[in-house]
Amino acid sequence: MKTEYDSVVVEPGRAHEEVVLTRVVRLNAVLTGIVTGVFAALIIFVATNWLVIKGGRVVGPHLVLLSQFFIGYRVTFLGSLIGAAYALLGGFLIGFFVAAVYNWFADLRQPKQAH
Amino acid sequence: MTPDAAAAGRKFVVIGAGPAGLTAAYELTKLDVQPMVLEKGPMVGGLARTESYKGFHFDMGGHRFFTKVEEVKKMWHEVLGQEFLRRPRLSRIYYNEKFFHYPLKPFNALVGLGFFESICIVLSYLRWQLFPYKQEETFEQWVTNRFGRRLFRVFFKTYTEKVWGISCSELKAEWAAQRIKDLSLKTAIVSMFVKPRKTIKTLIEEFEYPRLGPGMMWNTVREEVERRGGAVRLNADVVRIGRRGLRVEHVVVRSPGGEETIEGSDFISSMPVTELVQKLDPPAPLAVREASEKLTYRDFLTVCLIVNKPELFPDNWIYIHSPKVKVGRIQNFKNWSPAMVPDPRKTSLGLEYFCSEGDALWTMPDAELVALARQEVERIGLAKASDVEDGCVVRVPKSYPVYDSDYRTYLGVVRDFVDRLENLQPVGRNGLHRYNNQDHAMLTGMLAVRNAMVGQRNDLWSVNTEQEYHEEVHLDASLDAQVAEAAWDAVSRSFARFDRLAFGLATGLTSGLLLFLATMWLVLKGGGVVGPNLALLAQYLPGYRVTGWGSALGLVEGFIAGFCGGWLLAALRNATVLLYLIVVHRRLERRYLRRILDYV
Repeated sequence: MKTEYDSVVVEPGRAHEEVVLTRVVRLNAVLTGIVTGVFAALIIFVATNWLVIKGGRVVGPHLVLLSQFFIGYRVTFLGSLIGAAYALLGGFLIGFFVAAVYNWFADLRQPKQAH
Repeated sequence: MTPDAAAAGRKFVVIGAGPAGLTAAYELTKLDVQPMVLEKGPMVGGLARTESYKGFHFDMGGHRFFTKVEEVKKMWHEVLGQEFLRRPRLSRIYYNEKFFHYPLKPFNALVGLGFFESICIVLSYLRWQLFPYKQEETFEQWVTNRFGRRLFRVFFKTYTEKVWGISCSELKAEWAAQRIKDLSLKTAIVSMFVKPRKTIKTLIEEFEYPRLGPGMMWNTVREEVERRGGAVRLNADVVRIGRRGLRVEHVVVRSPGGEETIEGSDFISSMPVTELVQKLDPPAPLAVREASEKLTYRDFLTVCLIVNKPELFPDNWIYIHSPKVKVGRIQNFKNWSPAMVPDPRKTSLGLEYFCSEGDALWTMPDAELVALARQEVERIGLAKASDVEDGCVVRVPKSYPVYDSDYRTYLGVVRDFVDRLENLQPVGRNGLHRYNNQDHAMLTGMLAVRNAMVGQRNDLWSVNTEQEYHEEVHLDASLDAQVAEAAWDAVSRSFARFDRLAFGLATGLTSGLLLFLATMWLVLKGGGVVGPNLALLAQYLPGYRVTGWGSALGLVEGFIAGFCGGWLLAALRNATVLLYLIVVHRRLERRYLRRILDYV
């Protein structure tokens, strides 16, 4: 017989899922976009300057291929700033899009409930 | 409805002068209602009374005064004020002729049990963590799943069976669950963020205690009730409860002066609910009476010993796990309050024997019980039998409602009927057949008065299922409660699950579109060799090319890859959160369980 205590003491895995993991998380699209954008910008900035500092005969022959998409990007300090700006924008758009689409699908599958 | 209006023309009869009944009476007098309290026994306090013998005071069971219920705490201090002492807590377990600190301390336990036994306990613990019982129906299964079978046998089995008189494999897991019910996931999570304040933690190591035991509280409450116009009648046994339909009209009381009928408009009863049902006139339906007969109690008796020694041991009480003696717990009342002993050159002990009304221990003559206690106290090594100069016996019937395998079904039948009685409310441990402590028993009395006087609809049966009762993590100030609520809200949002399908679709759509746009961008830019590096994706995406057709294929394959990645990420995240929550919950549960013997 199921008792009022089962939620705590019986089958803890299932019980916890019932208690907490029943609510579907919604993502804040703007925040997700900002986080993704800043993260991508930092990656580009650090990766570019790492190669710049390492130096060598040909600096960053592969990373420079990003210029195919980020017009004006080069593996230089200035290029790292340009790349970071592109990544910030691109990352923001991707993060925002993923979050917005996720929320839309989540709403379709489980309408948001008032807390 | 105001209390004044509600009080007009009403006569309250309170059955039982234990904590629940007297609290109800006390609250009524505050509302200018003068209740009639009827107590079967010769003194007030019920299970929380203080017995006296030759000037020595004995607390039946040992009642620490701590609570999370603010109203109860307020009443305690309102009634006794400066008469409360703050006492240090020390309790130990006697097992295998050794003493172990309780709650257990690892080093002390290791030394006491020995290296080999300790290793066996750890291995047993690991085995039961990996392969636990799938169903936790019994107390044995419940404890084994948490501590391992070996530790269960060492520290739980004997004592629990002494207390309850039935095998741990017959005892429902529910009573243990009741004791830990408030350790909800919410409590566990909030405890990560809101640490108990030092003063709260101190209460675990210390407790408040009336100078002359719990009975001092109830004697004072009685005086206060009488001073305000209420009446408390002792030796007044309610033998019949007259009703018309579902309305109680009077009770018939038998006292030394004979029988009399007392009428009332409202009745609050802390008498055992089983007796209540049996005493109704006209009788309750047969099914209800039969169900009430199936509800059982456990009783105990205390052999009070006066020992001619100023100090014996430092503990407030000692749990006796040894099967070689019959005593279950020993109280050292001088360590509860020095005022419990009138002569500082002497010490008073209470040896608690758990038994059932009518069994061999219960019916044993007092002199033999005192002799038995004298022998056992020497056998354990706490005092010499020759130092015991006197003793007496106090029997406490119906101390614990038994949660056996079918009690819930039977109690449900009884409750369904009692709840239909319009003007009678059951309160207290035995009134509700619920293993409530003193504070929760008092709370039921308070809530019953609010139900009757201000039209609240408190469910008395759920007191102690709803109230938090957790010493280590309880948050008693309102500020803490607000912080806890806010923390819980924020945390529950953070721990909400990811919708795997929605996240997979979102990441799939994004990756597909990105690949499509990147490919088309290069195609439109043109050149001698178009997108030689992006074309390397064909190693993973079969058929992909940096062409117009390839971009469409990239859209589909990017979607599939992104979907799988997103779905997996969400699933892993959910699983990690779940695992984390289980770990947090188990950790806190173990912390709580270190004190579970206090609640056996």
